[in-house]
Amino acid sequence: MVPPATTAQPTAPSLTQTSLNKARRFFSALLRNPGSRIGLFLCLVLVFTALFAPLLAPHSPTELGVGRALTPPNAEFWFGTDEFGRDLLSRVIYGSRLTLKVGLIAVGISMTVGVLVGLVAGYAGGWLEAILMRTVDVLFSFTETLIALAAVAVLGPSLTNAMIAVGISSIPYYARITYGAVLVEKNKEYFKAAQALGAQHGRLLFRHILPNILSPIIVIATVGVSIAVLSASALSFLGLGAQPPSPEWGAILAAGRDYFKTAPWITTFPGVAIALTVLGFNLLGDGLREALDPQQRQ
Amino acid sequence: MTRYILKRILSGIFTIWVTTIAVTLLIHLVPGDPVQIMYAQSQSTTPEQLEQIRHQLGLDRPIYEQYLMYMSRLLQGDFGTTIRGRQPVLELLLGRLPNTLLLAFASLVITILVGVTAGFFAAHKRGTWVDTTLMTGAILGISIPSFWLGLMLMYIFSLRLGWLPVSGTDLKNLILPAMTLGLANAAAVSRLTRSSMLDVFTQDYIRTARAKGLAERMVLLRHAFRNGMVNVVNMLGLQFTYMMGGAIVVENVFAWNGIGRLAIQSIFQRDYPTIQGFILIFAAVVVTVSIILDILYAWIDPRITYS
Repeated sequence: MVPPATTAQPTAPSLTQTSLNKARRFFSALLRNPGSRIGLFLCLVLVFTALFAPLLAPHSPTELGVGRALTPPNAEFWFGTDEFGRDLLSRVIYGSRLTLKVGLIAVGISMTVGVLVGLVAGYAGGWLEAILMRTVDVLFSFTETLIALAAVAVLGPSLTNAMIAVGISSIPYYARITYGAVLVEKNKEYFKAAQALGAQHGRLLFRHILPNILSPIIVIATVGVSIAVLSASALSFLGLGAQPPSPEWGAILAAGRDYFKTAPWITTFPGVAIALTVLGFNLLGDGLREALDPQQRQ
Repeated sequence: MTRYILKRILSGIFTIWVTTIAVTLLIHLVPGDPVQIMYAQSQSTTPEQLEQIRHQLGLDRPIYEQYLMYMSRLLQGDFGTTIRGRQPVLELLLGRLPNTLLLAFASLVITILVGVTAGFFAAHKRGTWVDTTLMTGAILGISIPSFWLGLMLMYIFSLRLGWLPVSGTDLKNLILPAMTLGLANAAAVSRLTRSSMLDVFTQDYIRTARAKGLAERMVLLRHAFRNGMVNVVNMLGLQFTYMMGGAIVVENVFAWNGIGRLAIQSIFQRDYPTIQGFILIFAAVVVTVSIILDILYAWIDPRITYS
């Protein structure tokens, strides 16, 4: 393959060079922080587990009677078995796929809608701004939990609906952050220049403003994955998300409650898995915030 | 000040008004026939009976008429009746509300005590092992799901040690749920307190206080702590909202008989009148408490401009 970029125009290589340098500086700033190294590692472990679940899991996640019911962790069943003799390790491994999916889809929903609302409100101003941001304010005064519950109450309990519900519940956050950032960018020289040159609305919004406000959005989205994973697993735990026999971690925990006294491992391992996943995205988000914010970087 | 209070109260009323609209629309967003879904699980109802229920709920009228009907009933304190048992929804919710408020406030006290203390010491001992340990604890605390923390506390204190009951509704039963909810939020508050205190420690007036030879204790308590708390107090309203949201989950872990537990049960039963009532009461409580805390904050902090 011939790299097309080098033949394009004479300025291209130097541009690539500076953005490469920028990326390198960003990554070295990110990896200097031990917290973000751990975070990145935990996130990569989750992605790896989710991708290679069929290869990693010793058994099927839903096959009954693989071992004796309620076997404590041992050499054969590292995480023990549940009340139906299913291998808990395999269930937790397959559960990582659902967790990753929930995190990405929920954040996808809240980020897309929230950023769009914030962009339009901040850019358009006037009555559109008033309506959109007042709505966001009202949503903000409830908790995400309440919004998610209301959404599940409407849609009915299922993992897909829980993902949508969790996605909807975080829209106000993204809208507010984006809105605030747009207001700042709108008063900058480059924007006024582009506007004076007669750039179209779409171009102003997506080519000028959006790239300049991406860093705070990326940070929020990273931490947002951890919030989404927590909320969705809570919904599943309450019975409003994933339904049995799904190996979703919150659902495994809920089912394990009945055997809490005799088989505490059923509730222990999925809980640790959720906590490590959330920890990973939290640490990575903290690290990204520091690496992207030059004021905090020394 | 009066203007500020009025403005906050008006915005609160606006929020609750928007909620009434949202709650009316809620039932129409349900995919399929809500009446059929509501009654599907329980009694064997004939199509005629369903039609009659639809008429009773006003669902056969235009939506604006439904809203006006609903509003006029709400203003008379009529929140409708539950699908099963036909209990008045408002009575049921108000009966459970004190339990939720008790849990939320008890948790808030734990959150503030633990979170502020940890954050203050982490900032004071910045860069030492104390700071590292406390902040590692904080990020772990943020990452642990509250329902799991609750189960683990229950396992240790109720099942293994036998010190506390597993569930129930007397005061001894409050300890574990309040600890669960309180500790889960203390982690976030400790991070906030730490960064707020770090800001204060670099201020000129702290250097001045030290330079004039004031005892370190005095510098920390009189000058640093009081100023560092401004941000934390400002967050109280938001924290209370989190507690109310978190209570929904924690109540279900410990079978604590509050409105959160009722809400989950009514979602399972597709009991829409109760769900609607729950959302309204929840919104009203959160809005009212936030306004009270905001007014208190404005009253405490002389720098606030009441405009």
